Amino acid sequence: MSALVRKTLGDYRRALIGWTIGVCAFFLLYLSIYDSIAANPDLYEKAALAKYPGALKDLMGGLADLATGAGFLQVIAYQLFGPMMLIMCAAVLGNRAVAGPEESGTLELVLTLPISRRRLVLGRFAALALGLLGVGLATFLVIAVMSAVHDMGVPIGHIAAAHVGLYLLVLFFGTLALTLGAAVGSKALALAATAVYAIGGYVVETLGKSVDAISWLRVISPFHYFLDGRPIYQGWPVGDYLVLLAATAVLLAVAVLTFDRRDVGV
Amino acid sequence: MTAVVQTEGLTKFYGKRRGLHDLDLEIQPGEVFGYLGPNGAGKTTTIRLLLDVIRPTSGRAVVLGLDPRDSRARARIGYLPGELAVEGREKAGAYLEFMAAVRGGPSRRRIEELAERLEADLSARMGELSKGNKQKIGLIQAFMHEPELLILDEPTSGLDPLVQQEFLAMVREVRREGRSVLMSSHVLAEVEHVSDRVGIVRSGRLVAVEDVAALRERAVRKVEFHFDAPVPREAFENLPGVRDLVVEGANLRCTIDGRPDALIKAAARFTVVHMVSSEPDLEEIFLTYYSEEEHGDEEAGHVRARA
Repeated sequence: MSALVRKTLGDYRRALIGWTIGVCAFFLLYLSIYDSIAANPDLYEKAALAKYPGALKDLMGGLADLATGAGFLQVIAYQLFGPMMLIMCAAVLGNRAVAGPEESGTLELVLTLPISRRRLVLGRFAALALGLLGVGLATFLVIAVMSAVHDMGVPIGHIAAAHVGLYLLVLFFGTLALTLGAAVGSKALALAATAVYAIGGYVVETLGKSVDAISWLRVISPFHYFLDGRPIYQGWPVGDYLVLLAATAVLLAVAVLTFDRRDVGV
Repeated sequence: MTAVVQTEGLTKFYGKRRGLHDLDLEIQPGEVFGYLGPNGAGKTTTIRLLLDVIRPTSGRAVVLGLDPRDSRARARIGYLPGELAVEGREKAGAYLEFMAAVRGGPSRRRIEELAERLEADLSARMGELSKGNKQKIGLIQAFMHEPELLILDEPTSGLDPLVQQEFLAMVREVRREGRSVLMSSHVLAEVEHVSDRVGIVRSGRLVAVEDVAALRERAVRKVEFHFDAPVPREAFENLPGVRDLVVEGANLRCTIDGRPDALIKAAARFTVVHMVSSEPDLEEIFLTYYSEEEHGDEEAGHVRARA
């Protein structure tokens, strides 16, 4: 591993540990209530369906099968909470790749080292991808273990498929924050734009199922390529995942090209 | 000899702010070049162009025979920023080891040697460095890989006098080894003792480049003589190079331009009890340049106030 990637991971370490603990604790806490829900499926599924308006059910991914293992995992981990928490983590780290150090002034000294701009961006991306991979593995283990302990009956392959999709989705948004920072150098702008795209993308994908007026927008939502294939139920939506990977690669290329061209810190 | 730094018509505009206009500069191997000017004149802009942190609007620069965009040029440069930005909980020693690892060179031992020499604290966290320690860490990372070219932006601001002496000694060693230094400052006194040549930049333009030895030759010197008895003023009037003559009883004060020979010979006819000669004030010569070159003279006033 290059000195730059190691150093960047070192800088991310505390944030990575904090987010890992937080997200794992969330999953542990909420996945542990599965037993009581599975014990009263009629109550919880009917109650859930009756209580919420359709749009809200869509927002939460349907809720019709909350009392099944797959449905429960989807709602707690893969529908809204898991992606949003991890996207936040990724955006924070992606923001610290270029824009953060540029605004604080520490990037200048790094640029005067014999590292090309391209290698700098690629090294930061590698550290981001590796750091998120660490968070991804830890959260995967928690979910896999909880699923086994509570007898959720979801094949481990489907959990792996959903989790890889989650990782690709999160990496996409982390890379988006990195790219905006590399292109523009503004922390606030990169974070705001990433947040708007993440929230907007989620709303479009979920509401777009029942609101025809916005359903055509679903294809530009990154969430579409994670949620639409229903990996926790159906396994690997390979084509969708490749779209996420390709979009991330395009973002990274944009980051490299724009950062290579511009003045830093002015 | 190939110049270490060579710029031709180097120009940078930023939005509405003044940048740098049409800079032609050459620094030779083994030379210490003092780059002088008030804050905002374009010193840092020049340095950042040479380091490829920013890109020129027009013109070009060659550093160590390479385009500044070539990262191999930066491998052979040591850079001290004007204000070292630091943050984080990382120990200063670990940060320096990271920089050394990227440079693929200097050992932990070399870092420790420099730290000892400057009395820097390597165990302090980066985000909590004192101003003095920050400067020392900056100096270590600039000098540690024995670069062919050192670019030092306001190196002496914030150094305590002892460290400043050590720093100047390090710069002289660099020169002795045939390596080069570009050192910026807004006060001539900070660079005149180590610089071979001095360039003055004002409002984004290089207005003068002077050899320091030649400047000293032409320098203005204040001289005082105390005699054992009152001396006649006429004996010292109209001597070549003597100005501002004041004779009060047994005391004589004046300013001399260039050689003091005629004054010494005139004084030798009387009994000299005591003589005081101040260091030549190069700053004064520079200010003359400033006031000749400038019309709207805000910044020269700023420099004068600091002198």
